[in-house]
Amino acid sequence: MANDVPRDLEGKAAIMREFGRLRAAGLPVPAELQEKHVNATNDGFTTGPEPGERIPDFSLPDQEGISRSAANLTGRNGLLLVFYRSADW
Amino acid sequence: MEKNGFGIAAVSYDSHETLRDFARQHGIRFPLLSDRESTVIRSFGILNANIAPMLRAHGVPHPVQYLVAPDGLVIRKYFVPNYQHRVTASAVAFREFGAVSEGAATVTLRSGALTLTMGLSAERAFAGQEIGFFARFTLETGWHVYGTPVPDGYTATSVIFDGTAIARQSFELPAATPARMDFLKDFVPVYTGTFQGIGSLLLRFPLDEGTTVLSGMVRFQQCSDSVCEPPETIPFELPLTLAPFMDATRKKS
Repeated sequence: MANDVPRDLEGKAAIMREFGRLRAAGLPVPAELQEKHVNATNDGFTTGPEPGERIPDFSLPDQEGISRSAANLTGRNGLLLVFYRSADW
Repeated sequence: MEKNGFGIAAVSYDSHETLRDFARQHGIRFPLLSDRESTVIRSFGILNANIAPMLRAHGVPHPVQYLVAPDGLVIRKYFVPNYQHRVTASAVAFREFGAVSEGAATVTLRSGALTLTMGLSAERAFAGQEIGFFARFTLETGWHVYGTPVPDGYTATSVIFDGTAIARQSFELPAATPARMDFLKDFVPVYTGTFQGIGSLLLRFPLDEGTTVLSGMVRFQQCSDSVCEPPETIPFELPLTLAPFMDATRKKS
């Protein structure tokens, strides 16, 4: 439950470390820890601009190191912009 | 998405070298953007503030997806409040344009005056992802089925998937047309001709990789002006390939 989530970052970090330790060791993650980890990670989540609002302008390098802007990524009808956690882990 | 005139880009805090390797390994052709300092993630207001600075995951976003119009206004956004769950691009394309992946299976059922074709938005998905489905009903002239709210003793039209592989599901039909039923002396919501509902299926996590079938039941009751058939419950199955789970602990070194 969400009210099991520690308020402080150190308490959340303890849950995340334990989760990471079991995963790295290839050990099963107990359902209770799994749920705590999900709740600690999602606590107070924010989802940014709402439908009808404008996204902030941005410019970032792509996988080839080439700078890409929102304008240059947008197709004839628009853009699907995906934020994800990591491609590395 | 590209066929429908939308660009696709994905943002993470990885280095562009990491993203280059990842793109090569998985044959990704759309831009993967490197936000090393999480500057853009912060400017969107979606930095995950739950992760302490000393942890590797510090700087990651809440995984949100935006469909953005050419003028920069958000058309729709997608977020599942569990970081292991994502909406697939095929589900987005399906919801927005009715686009179905080539190779995605459909199934057609017939009973009396009713023909029903159902299909998934994708033929392949990962555990924890959300996919779309459609159900297209066609009734012969003179026949109808019921929408909601349905009068006592009649059965509304519904599609329900078996929950074994599905954590959450939704299904929406267009608004039914009120029709005057003389024998009920009232107006009743009905569907006639051809109509289509769409839904979403959030796959459970984890699930075994390989080929599976998503099974379920469609319920309806078909009536003409003079005859009402008994309520029917018809099972269906749609095949889906579950892709292997990519996990840091299993990644090749």
